[in-house]
Amino acid sequence: MGGAVAPLRRRRGRIGTALDGLYFLSAAAAALCLVAICAVVSLQVAANAADFVSERLVGRPLGLMVPSYAEFAGFLLAAASFLALPYTLRCGAHIRVTSLFDRLGPKGQSAAEIWCSAAGAGLSGYFTWYSILLVAESRRYGDLSPGMIPLPLWIPQASIGVGLAILTIAFVDRFISLLAGVWPGDAVADGSVDDGAPADR
Amino acid sequence: MEPLTAGLVLLVALFALLATGLWVALALLGVGLLGMLVFTGAPAGQILATTNWGASNSWALAALPMFIWMGEILFRSRLSEDMFAGLAPWLSRLPGRLLHVNVLGCGMFAAVCGSSAATAATIGRMSLPELARRGYDPQLSIGTLAGSGTLGLLIPPSIILIVYGVGVDESIARLFVAGIVPGILLVVLFMAYVAAWAVLHPERVPPPDPAMGLGQRLRNSRRLAPVLALIAGVIGSIYTGIASPTDAAALGVVLSLLFSWMSGTLSWRTFAAGLMSATRTSCMIAFILAGAAFLTVAMGFTGIPRLLAAWIATLELSPHALLAVLTVFFILLGCVLDGISIVVLTTAVVQPMVEAAGIDRLWFGIFIVLVVEMAQITPPVGFNLFVLQGLTGRSLFFIARAAVPFFCILLFAVALVTVFPALVTYLPARMAG
Repeated sequence: MGGAVAPLRRRRGRIGTALDGLYFLSAAAAALCLVAICAVVSLQVAANAADFVSERLVGRPLGLMVPSYAEFAGFLLAAASFLALPYTLRCGAHIRVTSLFDRLGPKGQSAAEIWCSAAGAGLSGYFTWYSILLVAESRRYGDLSPGMIPLPLWIPQASIGVGLAILTIAFVDRFISLLAGVWPGDAVADGSVDDGAPADR
Repeated sequence: MEPLTAGLVLLVALFALLATGLWVALALLGVGLLGMLVFTGAPAGQILATTNWGASNSWALAALPMFIWMGEILFRSRLSEDMFAGLAPWLSRLPGRLLHVNVLGCGMFAAVCGSSAATAATIGRMSLPELARRGYDPQLSIGTLAGSGTLGLLIPPSIILIVYGVGVDESIARLFVAGIVPGILLVVLFMAYVAAWAVLHPERVPPPDPAMGLGQRLRNSRRLAPVLALIAGVIGSIYTGIASPTDAAALGVVLSLLFSWMSGTLSWRTFAAGLMSATRTSCMIAFILAGAAFLTVAMGFTGIPRLLAAWIATLELSPHALLAVLTVFFILLGCVLDGISIVVLTTAVVQPMVEAAGIDRLWFGIFIVLVVEMAQITPPVGFNLFVLQGLTGRSLFFIARAAVPFFCILLFAVALVTVFPALVTYLPARMAG
C-alpha cells in the first residue's frame, strides 16, 4: 500500500518506527472492517433484489438473506472506528481548534503540545480502562448479541478496548517523544500523506 | 451549586480545553467527565463505556463511512472532468456562462457526496483552472465555488445530517429527503445571483466558447450519465423506501468502484489511498460522536439542558425570536468551531430547548445544516475557505470576501425555510414507508 504507508515512513528511531507499524496495522484492520461492511450490506441488497425479481417471476421470494447483517455492520463499524484511532492521531487527522494555538510562540506551542499529549494519554487511558472492564463484564455474564446469529458481545466490544489501548500508547509515545525533542510532527504536516478528499471538520 | 452556574462552569471548561488545542473529541469527553464527577454521584467510567458501546455499534451510523468512502473514490476518478465537459456546453448561453458550472456541478456532485469540502475540492480542481484560462472574474469564480460547495452538506447524502440524525434519533432517510427541496432552492438562488451579477457587469464576463452543435453537445452530455445514474440510484432508492441510507451507501461504494474501474482510474494505489483516507475521516468523526454521546448522557445527569430549556421557556420568546437568537449564536460559534462540533454540541445541549419551543426536529435539522453551511465559509475557521486556499493559493481574506454574497444568500434561505417550513417538510411527509 505505497501511498498509504508513506505518511508513517519517516524515521524516528527503532521504537518509534515499530510503534508506527503498530498504528498502521491497526488501521489496516479498520480498513478491512469498512470493506467488510460494504460487502455484507451489498450482499444483503443483492439478496433483496433477487427476492424482488423472484417474487415477480414465480410469485414467491427466494428468502435469501445475510443473517444478522445489521448487527454485524454495527459491530464492524465500532471496530473500524476505534482501531483506526491511533493512525488517525498519528496522521494529524483528528480535529482540534488551532486558531489560538497558532498564535502562540514556538515555546508556547511546544508546551501546549506536551499538555495536550498528556491530557490525551490520561483521558484515553481512563476510557481504555473502563472499556476493558466492560469487555470483562460481558464475558463474565456471557452476554450475547440479539439477532439470528447470537455472538458473544465481548468479541466486538474488545475491538474498542484494543483500539483505545493502542491510542493510549500513541499518546504516551507522542508525549515522551515531545519531551525528548524527537517528535517528527504529525505525519500530515509534512505533506507526505495522500490527503484525499478534504473532510468537513 | 446552581445548575445554571454549573452549566456556565462546564461551558468555560469546554472552551478552555478547546483553546489549548486539545482534540475536540477528547475535550467533549473531558467536559462530560468533569460534569459527572463534580456535579453528580453517578459512576462515570461505567457509563462512559456502556454509552460508547451503544453509540458506536450502530446500523444507521454505518452509512457514514460508506458515504465518505464513496466520495473518496469519486474524488480520485475522472468524474470532475466528465462533469465539466458535460455541463459547460449547455450553460454558455446563460448570463454568467460557465460560472454556472460551479453551481450546477457542485449541486450534482453534492448528490453523490456528503461533504462540502470534498464537493468544493472535486469540482474546483477542474473548474477553477478552466475558468481562469478563459478569463472569468477570479473573485466570482472562487465565490461561487465556496458557496456552492456547501451544498454538499444539504443535498443528500449528507455527513452532517447523519451526525444530526444519530444524535437526536431521527430517521436519516427522512432527513435526507427533507434536504432535497432546500438544496434545489439554493442552487436556483445561487444561479440567479450569478446571472444578475453578469447582467450588471457585462464587461467582466468573457465571451462564450465557440458554439457547439446540438449533436456534439448531446454526445458530451453522455459523460454525465454515470453521475446521474449514481444520483438516481442513491437518492431514488432512499426516497422510494427500497433501501435504507446504509444500503444505498454500500451500493454507492460498489457502483463508484465500478465507474472508476470502467473509466480507467481505479488502480491498487488509488483504491488503497481512498480507503485509508475514508478510514481516517470516518474514524475522526466517529471519535467526536463518541465524545458527544457521552457528553449528552453526562449533561442529562446534570440536568443542565432541561433547566436551560425551562429558563428559555420563562422568557416567552416566540419560536422565530428563539431561532433568530440561535442563528446569531451559531454563526458566531461557526467562526471558531467546525460544523460537526456545532451539530454535536447542539444535540447535546440545545435540543431540549428547541423541542420545548415546539420546533419540529426534522425542520431543525435542515435549519442547522444551513447555518453550518454558513460556518463553512466564515473566517477564521471555515473549511471550504481552507480548501479553496489550497486550490488557488489566494489569501483567506480574499476568499472569504468573495464568499460574502453567498453567505447572505444562505441567510436568506434560512429566512425562507423559516417563513415557509413546507419547503422542508413537504417531501418527507409524502415519502413511501
